[in-house]
Amino acid sequence: MAVFFATYGSLIVAMMLAAMLALSLYLPLLAGQLSLASPGFYALGGYVAAIISTRVVPFDSATQAYVWRLGAHEILRFPGPLYPVSLLIVEMLVASVLSAVLAVALGLPALRLRGIYLLLATIAFVEILQVVTQVLDLTGGAIGIFNIPQPFASQLGYAWVVVPLLVLSAFFVYRLERIRVGRAFTAIREDELAAAAMGINLTYHKVLAFTMGAVLAGIVGVISAHSINTWNSRQGTFDAGIAYLAFVLIGGSRTFLGPIVGGIVLYALPEVLRGIAAIPGLPPALAQLLKDGRLIIYGLLLVLGTIFFPQGLIRPNLFRRRKFEATRQVPGQV
Amino acid sequence: MSLPLFFQQVLNGLAIGSVYAMFAIGYTLIFSILRIINFAHAAIFTLGAYFTYALTGSAFGYNGLLKNSALPIHLPFLLAAVVGALLAGVVSIVIERLAFRPLRERGADPLLSLVSSLGVAVVIVNVIQYLVGAENYSYPAHPYGNLPTAINFGLGTRRIPVRTVQIVIFGVAVVIMLLLTYWLNRTKTGKALRAIAEDATTASLLGINTDRLILLTFFLSGMIGGLSGALIGSSVSIAGPYFGISFGLRGLAVIVLGGLGDIPGAIVGGVVLGLAEAFVPAQYIAYKDAVAFAVLFLMLLLRPQGLLGGAQLQKV
Repeated sequence: MAVFFATYGSLIVAMMLAAMLALSLYLPLLAGQLSLASPGFYALGGYVAAIISTRVVPFDSATQAYVWRLGAHEILRFPGPLYPVSLLIVEMLVASVLSAVLAVALGLPALRLRGIYLLLATIAFVEILQVVTQVLDLTGGAIGIFNIPQPFASQLGYAWVVVPLLVLSAFFVYRLERIRVGRAFTAIREDELAAAAMGINLTYHKVLAFTMGAVLAGIVGVISAHSINTWNSRQGTFDAGIAYLAFVLIGGSRTFLGPIVGGIVLYALPEVLRGIAAIPGLPPALAQLLKDGRLIIYGLLLVLGTIFFPQGLIRPNLFRRRKFEATRQVPGQV
Repeated sequence: MSLPLFFQQVLNGLAIGSVYAMFAIGYTLIFSILRIINFAHAAIFTLGAYFTYALTGSAFGYNGLLKNSALPIHLPFLLAAVVGALLAGVVSIVIERLAFRPLRERGADPLLSLVSSLGVAVVIVNVIQYLVGAENYSYPAHPYGNLPTAINFGLGTRRIPVRTVQIVIFGVAVVIMLLLTYWLNRTKTGKALRAIAEDATTASLLGINTDRLILLTFFLSGMIGGLSGALIGSSVSIAGPYFGISFGLRGLAVIVLGGLGDIPGAIVGGVVLGLAEAFVPAQYIAYKDAVAFAVLFLMLLLRPQGLLGGAQLQKV
C-alpha cells in the first residue's frame, strides 16, 4: 500500500485537481454559458503562487527560512525548509481575488451578449494571457519560473489540501444547485427568455457563475504550481481547455457529480491505456496509439459523447430512476 | 515612418490579411447557414496543406507511423492544391454527416455542435501527428513555376518588394469572395441557402432539399479551407499539425470583426487584422500574437455586430 501511494501519489493528487478544474468549467455551464477560460485562471493562479513563493517570500538558504522583506526591512520569517502551509493559503486567497476581479472584467462585456461571445472572449483571454506571460519578466518570460518550493515532504502530502478542497467545492456546488441562485442558473440554461421574464437578472447571474468557476480554477493553479514545481506559459492553453470540457461533457453536465467523476476517470485514462499498451503481443501501431493517443481519444469521446450521451454519463436521476423502474408498467416508454 | 516603409507595411498587412480573410470565409459560410462555428475548419485547413504535400509526391519525415513514405505520384503544386482542396471538401462532408447532422436532426443545443466540431478538430490534428509526426514540411521549391519570387511595387531606388505567393493568395481570396457573393445573392441555389439560413423548417416545407444544400455548403467550405491551407503552406511552410489551429483562433477574431456570418465582412475583417498586425511598433513586437485577441475583445465591447453590420434584432 505504501509503495502504491509513493508511486501514484502525484497522479492521485492530479486526478483530484482535474476534477476541480472540470467543476470550474461546469459552473458557467450550469448557467448555460460555454467558457474555455479555466486554463487562463489556472495559469494565473499558478503564477501567483510561483511569484509569491520565489520572489516575494524567497527561501534564504543561510538561515533555512522563508523571509519576507520590504526594502531592507525584514517583515516576516517562516522556518523552512518546507514551505509554510499558511502562505499556501494566502496564495490561494490572492489568486481567488485576482481571478474574481479579472473574471468580472472579462465576463461583463462578453455576457451582456447572447450566444457564443463568451466562448470567443475566453479563448481570446487564454491566448492573450499566454502571450503576455511569455514576454513579461515578472513571469519568467518564455522559460517560466523554476524551483517553486514544496509545502509537503511527499506528493501525497498535497492530499491534506486537495481532499478538503475537493470535498468543500463539491459540497458548495451541491448546495448551489439547490438554492435560489443555482435554480436561477438552471433557469437561464433551460430558457433565457423565460428566465428573464420571471425577473431573473441574466447578466448578474451569468457573471456570477463565470466568476465562481474562475476562482476555483485560480485556486487549483496555486496548488498545481507547487506540486509541479515549475510554471510557464504552456500551462494554460486552448488544448487544456478542451480536455477540461471533455471531462465535464463526458462525465455529465447536469449534476456536480458528473465533472468530478469525469475529471478523475478521464485524467487517469491515459495511465490506464499506457498500462494496456505495455501488454506484450499488441501490434506496435495499436500500442503506440494507446500510449500517445490521449488527445485522439478525448476528441473521439467528445464527438461520440455529444451525439449519444448529450447529458454525459452521470445524469441527475441516474440513481433515482432505479426505484421506479420496477413499478413502471407502461410499455414502450423510455 | 518613411513613406516606402509605410507602403511596405501596408502591402505586408494586405498579404497576411488576405490569408486571414480566406480562412474566415470558410467559417463564415457555415456560420451564415447553420449559426454554428465549425471548429473543425482549422483542422480541414491543415488537412488541405498535408494532402497537397502528399500529392506533390514529397516524402514524410522521421516520426510517426508513415515515416519515410511518399505517394508514387508527383503532381505539380497547383494541380496538387486543387486535388487536395477537393479531398478536404470530401472530408468536410464526412464531418457534417458524422458530427453535425445527428445533432441537427435531434434539434440539439447549438453549443453541442460546437463541442462536437471541437472534438473532430482535436481528432484530426492528433491523427495527423500520429501518422506523420510534428515536424515542419515545405513544398518543393518554386511551387508557382517560372513566376518570380517577388514583384517590385516601388519606383527606382525605392524598392517595395512583395512576394508573388502573397499576391496569389490575395487574388484567390478576392475571386472566392466575389464568386461566393454572386452565388449566394444571384443564383437559385444561393437563394435557397439563404432561405435555409432564415428558417430551415419553412425552407424544407417549400421544397428545398435542406440536407443536400447543407452538404454542399460543407463541401465548399472544406474546399476553400483546404485550398487556403495549401496556399498558405506554400507561403510559410507547414508548421506541424497545429499549423491550422493558430490561424483558426485568429480566424475567430476576424469573423467577429466582420460580423458573424457576413462574407464581405470576413474579407474586411481579415484585411483590418492583417494591417493591425503589420503596424505593431517594433518595440512591442513580442505582443504581436496577442493583437488578434485584443481586437476580438474590443469588438465585443464596442461593436459586437461587426464592422459592417447594422443593429441586430434578437430573434426569440
